[in-house]
Amino acid sequence: MSSSSPFAASTSKPGYGSILLSLLPPNTPVLSNVSYQYPLKLVAPDPLPLPEHDQSVPNLPSLIHTVFLLTYGGGIVAGDSINLDVRLRNKTRLILLTQGSTKIFKTADRNVVSRQHMAVNIAPDSALVYLPDPVQPFAQAAFSQSQIYSLEQEAGNLCVCDWVTSGRSARGENWDIHEYRSRNEVWTVDTSTENQGKRRLLLRDNLILDKNGQTGMLLSERMDAYSVFGTLIIRGPIFKSLSQHFLDEFEALPRIGGRNWGDSQQPELTRKEQWRLQRQQQEKANGLIWSAANVRGFVLVKFASREVEGARTFLNNMIKEEGSVLKSFGERAVLCLK
Amino acid sequence: MITTNGDQKSLEDEIFDLERRLQDAKARLNYSKSVVASSTPANDAALHALFLLSDSALPLGSFAFSSGLESYLAHHKPSPPSASQLSSFHTFLRLSLCTLASTALPYVLAGYRHPEDVEALDNDFDASTPCTVARRASVAQGRALLTVWDRSFKAQHSSTTTAASIHNGTDNRQQTAVDAITSFSTTLRTSSHLNVHLAPLWGLVSNILSVPLNDAAYLFLFSHARTVISAAVRASVLGPYQAQAVLASTELKSRIRGLVEEGWDRNIEDAGQSVPVMDLWVGRHEKLYSRIFNS
Repeated sequence: MSSSSPFAASTSKPGYGSILLSLLPPNTPVLSNVSYQYPLKLVAPDPLPLPEHDQSVPNLPSLIHTVFLLTYGGGIVAGDSINLDVRLRNKTRLILLTQGSTKIFKTADRNVVSRQHMAVNIAPDSALVYLPDPVQPFAQAAFSQSQIYSLEQEAGNLCVCDWVTSGRSARGENWDIHEYRSRNEVWTVDTSTENQGKRRLLLRDNLILDKNGQTGMLLSERMDAYSVFGTLIIRGPIFKSLSQHFLDEFEALPRIGGRNWGDSQQPELTRKEQWRLQRQQQEKANGLIWSAANVRGFVLVKFASREVEGARTFLNNMIKEEGSVLKSFGERAVLCLK
Repeated sequence: MITTNGDQKSLEDEIFDLERRLQDAKARLNYSKSVVASSTPANDAALHALFLLSDSALPLGSFAFSSGLESYLAHHKPSPPSASQLSSFHTFLRLSLCTLASTALPYVLAGYRHPEDVEALDNDFDASTPCTVARRASVAQGRALLTVWDRSFKAQHSSTTTAASIHNGTDNRQQTAVDAITSFSTTLRTSSHLNVHLAPLWGLVSNILSVPLNDAAYLFLFSHARTVISAAVRASVLGPYQAQAVLASTELKSRIRGLVEEGWDRNIEDAGQSVPVMDLWVGRHEKLYSRIFNS
């Protein structure tokens, strides 16, 4: 057809969505675009004011926006494909949340893989907190997701978690999936004029659970009786103290195979030491193990636990005790960890 | 066309005779091939290089690393403490090979196939190694291999390839590989971006030494198995003869063969962790009360 429509062409495709958070000068962030198509659904509640507005720091965003990532029917059905594009302009802050675990339903044909892809662009001085509920692939599910974060000039702040459970444990499911893949990548984009758009990989965390590997073992045996695996990726000056908190607590974990000979008198514990001791006991009771590492400007926390609740408690407890996320993003940031 | 009985008979005879001669010729060809093949200079060079790389005395310091075995054993204390840890060891060996094939093997293959990309491969492998302990082990062995190249292999290879490349086109590719490792080694002295991980460099060095890719990949996995098994001997999990039996087993052979086949076409973008708990065992090695290994 040669006659052109007076309206812009619809860019919405099934499963596609986009979020654009921009800044209305001097310091009011606005969600200038939130669009989505079935089966994806985005819900943006009213933004909340910054919990503790620090007047001494100029140009802090006055509002924190939140977007819930949902799917119709509360899960991803075989063959679904979701594509979400998120852009954070300079000096904005966004919380992404889910409402309950992301359920992946079984597929009749193991070659039909459901997909979910999210690309996030983070401008310098902006920050993303993405602490969702875990992904829960049911027995015979085939799912592949990727979260690709692009930072400009290695700047930008992010605190994102990606975790997966063994299925519906109440129904006896224990990693009975066909296939599960989750990819988290952080790239830096060079915006200087001579290297316009040159990308470099900063971090790749790629989990692949499939039949390959020549182990001759069931997937459940490969998982060493853990039902939850997760990675927390932290980067940027806004989350500096949170990163340090994880590193310090990892350092303070009791030595594996060490013994208390009882020859050192236990001094009166400070409040923090008491919290630590309690948390460590809880970790032991919940069969939770974790590690933290400082690599390439990130703090990477890996954790595994026997039950979902153990991991949830651990994350919530660690983030709350340190407190900076709650201060600069509000209680909503950890809604999925409660 | 109608043929008489006599004609048919003579044709059959002729066919029989031709077939016999064909078989005879084939047999002679095979025989001469096997004699010649074992002594062509190219094959000799590849075999010689394979022996060099497979030598457990190759100074990479691999003996200092258990690749998570020590931590794994500490996380799986048997009860009673005196019980054998042999069966947990076998589980670990399988998982460890599975992890190595899914995370590092694609980089070995890529380093061999695309020597010019070695810097990018090194960066991407570094970005994909999530814990300090594993990265330390990989970088220590990678740097050691680069030193071995610089001090021991380089002189030999730069001279032979330049001489040969004049009249042999296939050596151009090898020259690219030599150039790649030379510039990599030079950049290392000036840049803080490079890490020198073992996997991509293993591929690159195997390429230069003319080890066939299949063998290079096989040897990479085999050396890892040998290192883990030798660590198990020193951790008193199994005895030296048992260790040789594990190494010699058809099971290990077919497992490594299978892993190489599985990973043959996998891109580095699709490299990833297939045993998530391995990251925790390796990462928590630092938390062991007593340690005899560096990883």
